[in-house]
Amino acid sequence: MSRRPRLLPALLLGATLLGAGPARAEPPGCAAPSEALEAAALPGATTALTRGALRVLVVGSASTRGGGTSSPAATWPERLDKVLGARVAPAAVQVSVFGGRGTTAADHARIIAEQAPLLRPHLVIWQLGTVEAARGLPPDDMVEAVQEAIGRLRAARGERTDVVLVDPQFSRFFRANADVETYRDQLRLAAMASGAQIFSRWTIMRHWTETERLDLERAPRAQRVAVADELHDCLARALTEFVLDGLQRGRP
Amino acid sequence: MPSPIVSLIRPGRDLRVDFIRGLALWFIFIDHTPGNLLGRVTLRNVAFCDATEGFVLLAGFAAGIAYGRLLEREGWLHAAGRVVGRVGTLYVAHIFLFVVFTAQVGFTAATLDQAAYLDELQLDPFGAEPYRALLEALLLRYQPAFLDILPLYIVVLAMFAVALPLIRRPGWLLGASVALYAVARLLDIAPPSWTGSAWFFNPLAWQLLFAIGVVLGRVEPAALARRFPWHRWLAVLAVLLLLAGAALRIAGWFGAQRGWDVPEWLAIWLAGVDKTGLHPARLVSVLLITWLVAHLLPRSAGWLTGRIAAPLVLMGQQGLAVFCCGIFLSFLGRLALEQASGGLVQVGVNVLGLLALVAIAVISAWYGGDGRRSGKSALPPAPHAATP
Repeated sequence: MSRRPRLLPALLLGATLLGAGPARAEPPGCAAPSEALEAAALPGATTALTRGALRVLVVGSASTRGGGTSSPAATWPERLDKVLGARVAPAAVQVSVFGGRGTTAADHARIIAEQAPLLRPHLVIWQLGTVEAARGLPPDDMVEAVQEAIGRLRAARGERTDVVLVDPQFSRFFRANADVETYRDQLRLAAMASGAQIFSRWTIMRHWTETERLDLERAPRAQRVAVADELHDCLARALTEFVLDGLQRGRP
Repeated sequence: MPSPIVSLIRPGRDLRVDFIRGLALWFIFIDHTPGNLLGRVTLRNVAFCDATEGFVLLAGFAAGIAYGRLLEREGWLHAAGRVVGRVGTLYVAHIFLFVVFTAQVGFTAATLDQAAYLDELQLDPFGAEPYRALLEALLLRYQPAFLDILPLYIVVLAMFAVALPLIRRPGWLLGASVALYAVARLLDIAPPSWTGSAWFFNPLAWQLLFAIGVVLGRVEPAALARRFPWHRWLAVLAVLLLLAGAALRIAGWFGAQRGWDVPEWLAIWLAGVDKTGLHPARLVSVLLITWLVAHLLPRSAGWLTGRIAAPLVLMGQQGLAVFCCGIFLSFLGRLALEQASGGLVQVGVNVLGLLALVAIAVISAWYGGDGRRSGKSALPPAPHAATP
C-alpha cells in the first residue's frame, strides 16, 4: 500500500512520455474516437513551445463560460489550461477566455480582432456554430465571419498563430430540433478554406453518448453537475490529445 | 392483374417526373430526420444540390402543366384564383406544423436542465417573447429549423399566380426569372427573418428553379429533345463534372483526417457555395442531373408502370399532400430518434415513415385530393382499369 503513491506518478509520467497510455484503464482523451483526435501540424504552437511559453486564446459561446459545471474553474477552457499545461511542462501554458452565452461567430470575430494584437496568441481555439444552428442564422454569414477573421489573423500574425475550430456540443435534443448537420458541414468548409483545423466536439460527444461513457442529457438530476464537470474535463483531455498530436506533427 | 396502388396512378403523364418527385419527397423525409442513418446516402452527400432542388423544380413542372391548361381554358383570374387557394392551404398547413413543432420544442426544453443547454435553448424564442414569436410566425418571419421549405413554396407559388400570363411566353418568363435571381443574388436582397438576418431559403432566388420547371412542363417533349439533344461527349463531360463535385463533397467530409488536401482556392470557392441563395453551382448540378436522367431513363421504361415503382410514382403524383404530411411524419421520426437511435428504431422510423408516405399518397389519390381537382378537366376521365 505504501508504495502505490510513489508508483502512480511514475506510471503517469511514463504514459505521458509514451504518448499512448498503456498503464491507464482508458485510452487518452477519455476514450474519444482516435480519428477525432488526429490533428494536422500546428507550426505556431510548436515554435512557441520550443521557446517555453504557449499563449492560447479561447473564444466561444456558452460552454466556454459554464454549461452546468460546478464552478468556472471546471469549464473546458480552464481545464485545458491545467491538463495541457501539465503535459507540456516545463513550458508554460496561458489560456485566456472570451465570449459568452448567445454570442455568434460575428461577435467572436470582433473579439479576435480586438484581442489578437494584445495577446499575440499562438493558438486560437474558436468554439462556434451552436448559436447559429439554434437560431437558424444564415450559414453563409458564419462562413464569411470565420474566413474574414482568420484571414485578418493570418495577415497580422502569419504562421505564428494556429486556429482550431470547435463545433457544437452533441445532444439528442439539439440534433432532433436543429439542422446541425448543415452548420457542421459549413464549418468544415470554412476551416478548409481558411487553413484552420476542426476539433469535432460533436463527433466525440456523440461517441461518448453512444458508448454510454458520458451522457449529460440522460444523467439523473442529482448527478448533473458532476457529469457536466466530468464532461468538460474529458473535453479538455481530448482537446489536449488533439493539440499534442498537432505538436508532434509540427516537429521538424 | 394490376395491384391496387397501380390502379390509382393517373395515366397520360410522364411517369418519370412522378417517380423522381416521389424519390425527392422520400429524401426530404430522410433529410428532415437527423440521426437517421439513411441520411448518409441521400443526394446531398454526393452532389452540390439535394432533394430540395429536385422538389422545387418538379413542383414547377407539375404546376406548369396543371395551371397552364387551366389558364388556357378559363383565363388568368380563374387560374390565379386556384393558385392562391393552394397558397392558402399551404399557409394553414405551415401554421399547423409550426404550432406542433413549437409546442414540442418548448416542452422538451422545459424538461431539460436549463444550465446544461445554455445556447441550445435559444431554439425556443417562445420562452422569452411568446406573443412576438407568434406574430412573427404568422408573418413567416420566424421559421424554426426544418420548417423552411414550406414558406419558400408559399412565396414562390404566390409569385407564380402573378406571373401566370407569362406562361405563354416562356422566353419572357425565364428572362424575368433570371433577372430577379441575379438581382437578388448580386444585391443580397432577401425577405427578412426575425431570429436571423434573412430566410434560410431566399424565395427571390429559388423562384428561378420553379420557373425553369414551369417552362419544361409546358414545352412539347419532342421540342425539348430537339433543343437539348443528346451528345455523348457532353454527357461524359456532365458525368465527369458531377463526379468531380461528388469527390469534392466527400473530401470535405473526410479529407482533413486522411490528408486529402483540397487546394485552398478550391476550398474558398467551395465554402462560397450557398444554399440560401441557390448558388449557380447548385443550379447547374440539378440541371445537369435532370438532363442526364431525362435522356438516360426512357419515358417508356417498363418498370415505371410496375409495382415496384408504383408507390414512389403515386407519391410524386400526390406531391403536395405527401410533402405536407411528410414534414409532420419527419417530426414524429425525430421524436423517435431523440429517444433512441439504435438499429431497431432506425429500421422502424424508415419503414413506418415510407409506409405512411405511401399511405398518404393512396388516400389522397383515392379521395381525389391532389391533381384530380387541378387536372380533372385537363385529362379525359380515365377508367382506372385502363391503367397499363
